[in-house]
Amino acid sequence: MIALGVKKRVPIHSSTLFYFLGGMALFLFVLQVVTGALLSLYYKPSPDQAFESVQAIMTEVKFGWLIRSVHSWGANLIIGVLFLHVLTTYMMRAYRRPREFTWITGVLLLGLFMALGFSGYLLPWNELSFFATRVGTALAGKVPVVGAELLLVARGGENVTGDTLSRFYALHVAIFPLVALALMGFHLYLVQKHGMSTPERLPRGPGWYYGLPVLAAVGAVFPFCFANGLALLGVSLWKLLLVASALLLVWLYLGQESRPAVSHPATRVGAPKYDGPSMSFLPDFLLRDAVGWYLALGILAALAALFPWGLGEKASPLSPAPEGIQPEWYFLFMFQFLKQLPGHVLGEWLEGETAGVFFFGFVGLVVLLVPFLDWGDRSRRLLNVLAAPAVVFFIVMTAWGWFPDDPHLSVILGTSLLLGMLLLAVPFLERGQTARVGLWILFALGVLFLLGVIADRRWGLGTGHSLTERLVLWLGPR
Amino acid sequence: MRTLLTSLVVTALLTAATLVVAAPEEGKAPPPPADTKATPAKALAVTLLPEDYSCTFCHADPQTFSGDTKHLLVTAKDLAGDVHWQKGLRCHDCHGGHAKLDEHVDHRADSTYRGPRSPGEIPGLCGRCHSSIEYMRRYNPSPRTDQESEYWTSGHGLRLKTAPDDKDVATCTSCHGHHGIQAANDLQSRVYPTRLAETCAACHADPERMKGRTYHEKPLGHNQYADWKKSVHAQALLKNGDLSAPTCNDCHGNHGAVPPEVDSVANACGTCHVKVATLFAQTVMKHRFEQADWEGLPGCAACHSNHEIRHPSDPMLGMGGEAFCSRCHGEGKGKYPDALAGKTAEGMSKELEKLQRQIAAAEQSLDDAEHLGMLVRDPRFRLRKARDALTNARSLVHGFSLGPMKQAVDEGLEVAVSVEQDGQKQFDEYAYRRIWLAVSLVPILIAVGLLLLYIRSLPVAGR
Repeated sequence: MIALGVKKRVPIHSSTLFYFLGGMALFLFVLQVVTGALLSLYYKPSPDQAFESVQAIMTEVKFGWLIRSVHSWGANLIIGVLFLHVLTTYMMRAYRRPREFTWITGVLLLGLFMALGFSGYLLPWNELSFFATRVGTALAGKVPVVGAELLLVARGGENVTGDTLSRFYALHVAIFPLVALALMGFHLYLVQKHGMSTPERLPRGPGWYYGLPVLAAVGAVFPFCFANGLALLGVSLWKLLLVASALLLVWLYLGQESRPAVSHPATRVGAPKYDGPSMSFLPDFLLRDAVGWYLALGILAALAALFPWGLGEKASPLSPAPEGIQPEWYFLFMFQFLKQLPGHVLGEWLEGETAGVFFFGFVGLVVLLVPFLDWGDRSRRLLNVLAAPAVVFFIVMTAWGWFPDDPHLSVILGTSLLLGMLLLAVPFLERGQTARVGLWILFALGVLFLLGVIADRRWGLGTGHSLTERLVLWLGPR
Repeated sequence: MRTLLTSLVVTALLTAATLVVAAPEEGKAPPPPADTKATPAKALAVTLLPEDYSCTFCHADPQTFSGDTKHLLVTAKDLAGDVHWQKGLRCHDCHGGHAKLDEHVDHRADSTYRGPRSPGEIPGLCGRCHSSIEYMRRYNPSPRTDQESEYWTSGHGLRLKTAPDDKDVATCTSCHGHHGIQAANDLQSRVYPTRLAETCAACHADPERMKGRTYHEKPLGHNQYADWKKSVHAQALLKNGDLSAPTCNDCHGNHGAVPPEVDSVANACGTCHVKVATLFAQTVMKHRFEQADWEGLPGCAACHSNHEIRHPSDPMLGMGGEAFCSRCHGEGKGKYPDALAGKTAEGMSKELEKLQRQIAAAEQSLDDAEHLGMLVRDPRFRLRKARDALTNARSLVHGFSLGPMKQAVDEGLEVAVSVEQDGQKQFDEYAYRRIWLAVSLVPILIAVGLLLLYIRSLPVAGR
C-alpha cells in the first residue's frame, strides 16, 4: 500500500486545490461514522423516547453536546464538500474516458449522502424534522403509477409515525452507510486504477489584478444603471435567473472563443500519460491533505462550541405544521422550486408537483450520464449551456428558500454564493483570456451590487425609492 | 462566431420556454364547486301551505299587510329556520282559529283565536306549550318547563304584571322573535351566547326606552352593553370564541332576569370564579359590602366593576395611584382609613412585584442562554411552576391576608431563583466550552504548523 502511495503521482497545476475535496469528503465521512456510533450508544429510536434521548445527549451525557453538534455540522459540511467536489470534477472534465464510472459512483455517492442527511434529519423527532419529512416523503407519492407504493415504502405506512422513525433509523445507521462504504470502496479503487485526471487547459497561474482598471471604471456608474434601469423592467425572479445565466453563458462562450490556452500535448483527450509537474501521493499529497483535515476538525469544533446544534420542540403529529417549515439547505432548491409551480402544468393532465419530480429526476439522470453525453468540444459546450443555469438555479433557489420573507438577506446570500462560484472558475481561465476579463467584470458588478444591498438593509438609500424597493419591483411578484 | 450565435439562440429558446412555464394562469376562473349536497337555504326552505289554508290567505299577501300593518305579514322567508315550523307546528297550533279557509271566522269574533292581543298575553301564549311537561316531552326527553314561571319573577315580568300593555317591556318574543324562532343552541339564534348581549342591548342600550326605568328605585341606565363590550368577558366570548365566558344571562339569569342582589353578586361571580369567591366569602370585606350604608357597587363589583370588568392587573392592588385599595384605605382619603389594611395591601403588592421580577429575571436568563444555542427546555418547564405560584398568589389577594399570600409567593420565588441559577449555569457551560475550544485549537494549530513545516522541509514537489 505504501509503495503504491509513493508511486502514485498527483498533477500540479492551478486546479490542484480541487483534488483535496475528495479526501476532505472521506475524512468527514469517517468523522460522521465515529460520531454517529457514539450517538447511537444513547439514542433511542422511538417517538416516545427519541427527542428525550437527544435532549439527554445534549444536556446530561459528558461531551454529548460536542459529539451531536459535530455530527450535525459535519453532515452539512460533507454534503457541501461533495457538491463542490462534483462541480469541480465537472469543470475539470475529469469524467472523461476511462473515468466514466468514477463519475457515476461519485454522483451516486452524492445522492446517497443527501439521503443519509434526509434520514438523519428525522431522528431527533422534533417539529421541524417531522413536518419536513412529511413534506419530503409526500413527494414520493407524486411519482405516477408507483407513487402510492413508494410512499408506503418511504414512510412505512400512510403517515409519518414511529414506523417511519424506525425505518429511517435502520436506513441511516446500517443500510445507507453499508452501501456508501461499498460505493466509496469502488470509487477509490477506480481513482487508484486510473490515476488523477488533469484538465485539458493548464493556465499559467492567477492574474486576478488584471480586471482592476475595468472594475474601477464600471463601479462608478453601476449603482445608477442597475438600480434605476432594471427597476423599470418589472420582470420576475425567473427572468432574473435567466439574465444571470445568460451573462454566465456569454462569458463561458467568450472563453471558448479565446486564444488557444497553453496546453500540454500530453493532456489531450486520450493521452496515455501525464508528464507535467506532479507530486507523490505519499507523503506530499497526503500531508497537505492532513493539513486540510486538521483545519476541518478545528472548524467543526468551533462550530460545535460556538453554534451548538438546536433541538427545537418535540414533534406533535396532531398539531398543524408550524410556520417556516423547510428542509435542510441541500434540499431547499427543490423545495422552493416546487412551491412556485402551479397546480397543474401543460393543461390539466399533469400535476405541478409531479412535473417538478419528473424535472429533477431528468436532471439527475443527465448529471449521471454526463460522461456519455460529452463526446467532444461541441457536446461539452451544450452541457455547459445546461450546467451554468443549473448552478445559478441551485444558488438562487437555495438563497430564496433560506430567507423567503427577507429579500435583502436572500439576495445577499445568493449573490455571495454566485460570486464564490465565479471564483471557482478562475483557475480554468488564463491571463489574457477575454473570458477572464468578463469574469472580473461580473465579479465587480456582483460585489458592488452586494455592497449596495447590504448598505440598503443597514441604512436605506433614501426615502421612497430605496434600492431594495427598486429591486423588489424589478423582481416582480413572488 | 457561429458558436456564439448558436449559444445566443439556445439562450433565447430557454428564456422563451421558461416564460411559458412561469407565466401565471390568468383569465382562468376556477371551476365552480360541485353541488353535491343541499345548501342550508335549501334544507330550511319552507314548503308552501295548501292554498285553502286560511292564515296565508291574508297573512302571506303583501298587498293586504303593508305600512303600519306590515308586522302582520308572514312570508316563507320569515319561517325559514323556524324551530316550531321544522317540528311540524303550523299557525293555528299557536294562534288557534280555524285552519281551513272554508271554516274561517273573523278573529275578533272567534273565541278560539289566540292573538296575542297585548304584550301581557304573550308569556301565557308561549307558556301554554312550554310550561307543559307532557307536551314538551314529545320534542325533548328532558325539557325545562319553568320559563313562564321564572319570567313572572323577573324584572320584566314584574313590570308587565303592573302594566300589561307596556310595549317596551321585554316578553318572550322580544328576545326569541315571533316567527323565525331558532333554537337557543343555533348559531343564528338571537339568544345564542355570542348574540345574546346584542339582543338585550336592543332595549337596554336605548336611552329613550330606558328613560325613567328603575329597579328598586335605582335608575337602570343604558350603558351596560357598551361597558360589557370593553370587558374581559366580551373579549373572551366575542374575539376568542370562548363560549364559557359570561354574557348577560350568565349573571342575570335567563327568563328570571334580575340584577344580582347585594349578596348574590359574589355568588354570581363565584359560579365560575370559585376559588376567589370562597376566599372572599370568608373575609370581612364581603360583609362590609353588604352593609346598608355601603354606597359603591356591591361585592366583587366594588373593585372589579359589574359590566366593564377589565383584566385585573397588579397596579389595582396596593396604595399607589391606580390602586383600588387606596380609594377607601388611604390616609386622609375615603371613609375607611385603616392603617393596617393599607399596610396589608402594600405588603401584598410588594410580594407580587418581587415574584414577578424574579420570574422575569429567570426568563431573561433562559432567553440569553437559548440565544447562545444552549438547551433550556427543562428549566423553562420548571418556570411554569413559578408562574402558577404567581397566579395562586394573585387569587389569595382576595383573602385580604398577607400570610397565605406570602407563602405562595415564597414557593414561586424558590422555583424562579433556581431556574435563574440554571440559566447562569448554561452561561458558565458556554464559557467553559469556549475556553476548551481555544485550548483544543492550540494542538490542532500546532499540528497544522508542524505539518506545514515538515512539508516545506521535503524536496520541492513537482520535480
